Amino acid sequence: MSFALSTRQVTFGRPAHPAQQQQYQQGQPQPFAAQSQQQPQPSSGLALPFPSNPYLPGPTGLALPGPAPPTTAQPAQSQQQQQQSQTQSQSPTVTGATQASAAGPASPPSTIPATPAPLTLEQQHITAVEGIVPTLQNIVATVNLDCRLDLKTIALHARNAEYNPKRFAAVIMRIRDPKTTALIFASGKMVVTGAKSEDDSRLASRKYARIVQKLGFDAKFSEFKIQNIVGSCDVKFPIRLEGLAYSHGQFSSYEPELFPGLIYRMIKPKVVLLIFVSGKIVLTGAKVREEIYTAFNTIYTVLVEFRKP
Amino acid sequence: MATAYYEFYRGSSIGMALTDSLDELITSGAITPQLAMKVLQQFDKSLADIMVKQVKTKTTLKGHLHTYRLCDDVWTFIVKNPTFKMESNEIVSAPKIKIVACKNGDAIEAGKK
Repeated sequence: MSFALSTRQVTFGRPAHPAQQQQYQQGQPQPFAAQSQQQPQPSSGLALPFPSNPYLPGPTGLALPGPAPPTTAQPAQSQQQQQQSQTQSQSPTVTGATQASAAGPASPPSTIPATPAPLTLEQQHITAVEGIVPTLQNIVATVNLDCRLDLKTIALHARNAEYNPKRFAAVIMRIRDPKTTALIFASGKMVVTGAKSEDDSRLASRKYARIVQKLGFDAKFSEFKIQNIVGSCDVKFPIRLEGLAYSHGQFSSYEPELFPGLIYRMIKPKVVLLIFVSGKIVLTGAKVREEIYTAFNTIYTVLVEFRKP
Repeated sequence: MATAYYEFYRGSSIGMALTDSLDELITSGAITPQLAMKVLQQFDKSLADIMVKQVKTKTTLKGHLHTYRLCDDVWTFIVKNPTFKMESNEIVSAPKIKIVACKNGDAIEAGKK
């Protein structure tokens, strides 16, 4: 835990920030250059948004729903802050893991920064491009209750539970607050979906673990991990998807006969975006909220280029 | 009997009446308990069939679903403040009801195949 904190502090250093950004920009085009030399300009255009992002006070005034206050970066931490960062302790570690895996194929190991550079809370200050912040729609998390479960007992005694072993080998349970659904498996593993924030996801998972405990199982609450975050937003202008698909062919897949949206697989951060003509965007595949914000910032400047006249 | 039928209709008023009558007949020595059991089993089967084939009355129900459960192919719903709207436009309400929904005879047969 303290390890995670210390890595964060390093990350937060303001001066280190632009340098790390640069590292990323250098790292990004390399794999594509390796794949095909005729890689056109647009891929570097993708990297451009970083410098153009306003570090200026304008949009930073917007209060963003950050999971932890930026003040956690201060060396002197109050106990309360420590608690908050404890509950958040998953995110830095998760970030590290995803970064490593995402960076694996994308760039040579030497260019990987020691810390997950672009996904700091600092960056939340630059998320409000044109005052648009993606809203989180769904969070999927997994928990290990670390105990074999008799699903029939759970289905018989818990409320709002469904168990049909012929269809699906898990109990499907729902709670109303936070409004979520859990899949509980006999192995003791559990998947919790539907939460709108990291805290809600964790709270809901704890509630499910408690319900299982109350039914007489020796359930623990371990290995809580957020597996996926989905966000959405509206850029409020129509987009030329054909143009975007053409010039960002590396990342895009646009088959209007199959699906009306353009599927954009961003490499850094590793997020998949569904972009619709209407200007509505869905972002998915993120492990931490900052990845959603960074991905939106990156795509926004690209989308402006392909605004329908 | 090939299939076991749910016995919960024995708790209905018609089922209770039948059980009482059978009890009386057993105590008076008119029938054997074995025969009574057989009658009750036939009652389970007949009622399940009749409910499917002959009961066509419908009602719509609105309320707040407080709890639901699915286990062993039986759905249980606890509905708070339900209002029933009968076909005759009569409206019936209650503070709380429990609905137990089971598969009917045919569905059980189909499920076994």
